[in-house]
Amino acid sequence: MDRTPLILSEGLTKAYGPVHALRDLTLDVRQGEVYGLLGPNGSGKTTTIRLWLGLMKPTRGRATILGHDCWRGGLQVRRLVSYLPGELRMPGSLTGYGVLKFLSGLRDGEGLDRAAALAERVMKLDLGRKVRKYSTGMKQKLALAQAFADPVDVLILDEPTSALDPSARLDVLNLVREAKALGQTVVFSGHVLSEVEAICDRVAILRRGRLVHVEDMNARRRLRMLLVRFEGDAPPPFPEELGLSLRRREGRALLLEHRGELGPLLRWLATVPVADLAIGAEDLHSLYNEYHGAEAAAADEDEDIAR
Amino acid sequence: MRPFWTLVRKNLHDVRWSLTLSASALFGLGWLFVHVASLQETRIRQALSDGKGFNWIRQMGLGADPPSVEIMMAFWNHPFILLLASMWAIGRGANAVGAEIERGTLDMVMSRPVSRSTYLGAQALTGTLGLLAIAASLAAGAYAATFYNVLKSPPTLGLLARPAFNLAALAFPMYGYALLFSSIDIVRWRPLTIASVLTLAGFIARVISVIPVFKDATWRPWAEHASLFTLYNPVDAVSERVRYEFDVAVLLALGSALVAMAFLAFSTRDLPANA
Repeated sequence: MDRTPLILSEGLTKAYGPVHALRDLTLDVRQGEVYGLLGPNGSGKTTTIRLWLGLMKPTRGRATILGHDCWRGGLQVRRLVSYLPGELRMPGSLTGYGVLKFLSGLRDGEGLDRAAALAERVMKLDLGRKVRKYSTGMKQKLALAQAFADPVDVLILDEPTSALDPSARLDVLNLVREAKALGQTVVFSGHVLSEVEAICDRVAILRRGRLVHVEDMNARRRLRMLLVRFEGDAPPPFPEELGLSLRRREGRALLLEHRGELGPLLRWLATVPVADLAIGAEDLHSLYNEYHGAEAAAADEDEDIAR
Repeated sequence: MRPFWTLVRKNLHDVRWSLTLSASALFGLGWLFVHVASLQETRIRQALSDGKGFNWIRQMGLGADPPSVEIMMAFWNHPFILLLASMWAIGRGANAVGAEIERGTLDMVMSRPVSRSTYLGAQALTGTLGLLAIAASLAAGAYAATFYNVLKSPPTLGLLARPAFNLAALAFPMYGYALLFSSIDIVRWRPLTIASVLTLAGFIARVISVIPVFKDATWRPWAEHASLFTLYNPVDAVSERVRYEFDVAVLLALGSALVAMAFLAFSTRDLPANA
């Protein structure tokens, strides 16, 4: 899993006077992975992306994409990256095809045929219509067609499914998977946790401009949660090789995390006095809530008061 | 170079209606002022030789028996002409960056492999071409009108091109400061307002400086030199006076300096999401 880091952020900070939009962001995105950025509005996701694209100058720290400094070498960076903005605006006076032609013209004409084919066949758009007559979702589909058609190493998608209907959302997730299969690296910023969970290899959670957690989703998919109640007063000791750890105790019930093979666990469970047992998985929502739930909000308020 | 020309084509597409309207209006004004000059030429000549009436024309340096083109040029100081050229220059300058950020369309361009100098260069080229086009329309309108109106000595198109170029040069610094303000802003209204106020102040300063009552006022030379409009002299442009070259050179140098400052400001600023 130790692939080459393609995007590197080292202490990346963006401040507007005393207000920090981003603080000391240090992370790496590896070649060929789908990397999720999670966090509520104002958590620093879009600022991070704009710093990566060289649209803003960092106050401190630096970011590189394939070795190019994102601020000083912004042009080289944008040759390698295709970006779908979260808030999309297009010139309404052009037709759908006109927009694709314009956008590909800004990349020396590359990707126009593929973009038009994607827009017409996958996104089912009428490219002869003026963009001002498109709905918000149609405009987003048009921009997505262009983003996925660009011959680039990195795709940065900022809330790519926010205006789409459910079937179009599925199309987008499939296109992300195809891009990954082709070796492209995808940064996927979004609010729909189920989508992030479905396609991302790793997920960074940001809160108030800070990186608070990076989750390996492949490891998470192997995670099982056991809610178990043993007979007797004390639970039996857990054999170390099982990979069991205690998350929480609620009365006599234990919430256990399991990251190992299923067979040995079941064999061990058959040998101990289990009164009740439930085995399940944990979705991304509960992890997200650790950092953005009610407790986290209360901690933020305490921090604000302390200042 | 392809991104540059793609942007220029797109910009020309965006301005096609305002450019057509402005150019048509100036073509019409050029024609109208030849018609008026044709109707009034005899009276104006009489007044100039008698030293009575038409003082505003005499103030422009017309002699006793000026050629027809100098009489025509006296009308090229009309506020409509100055207003149209100024509006075009300020509108295009203010739209270049601030308005694009405000609309959110700058992201679409700047997230592509387009350098900031390419982006602003395409804007500056479109603005400059537009200024030349509308100024040329004025000359073309006047030239076309000479075939349908009687003038004592009809001018050539080459001669009309000189004051037209002076008009374009006058609007160039206005474009320059509107572009500079736009390059550091995130909205359209602010650069538009500041550039309009500056232009209006310059125009008022010019008007005040030529009012006879203030002829001996100590501040009059300051007011005169503070105004760009002092450097627009269509009569001088056709009478082969040295001042034309100087005026145009100063206007172009000032405009170029302001555009260069806009490039510098734009290349180092943050480009935020839409405002």
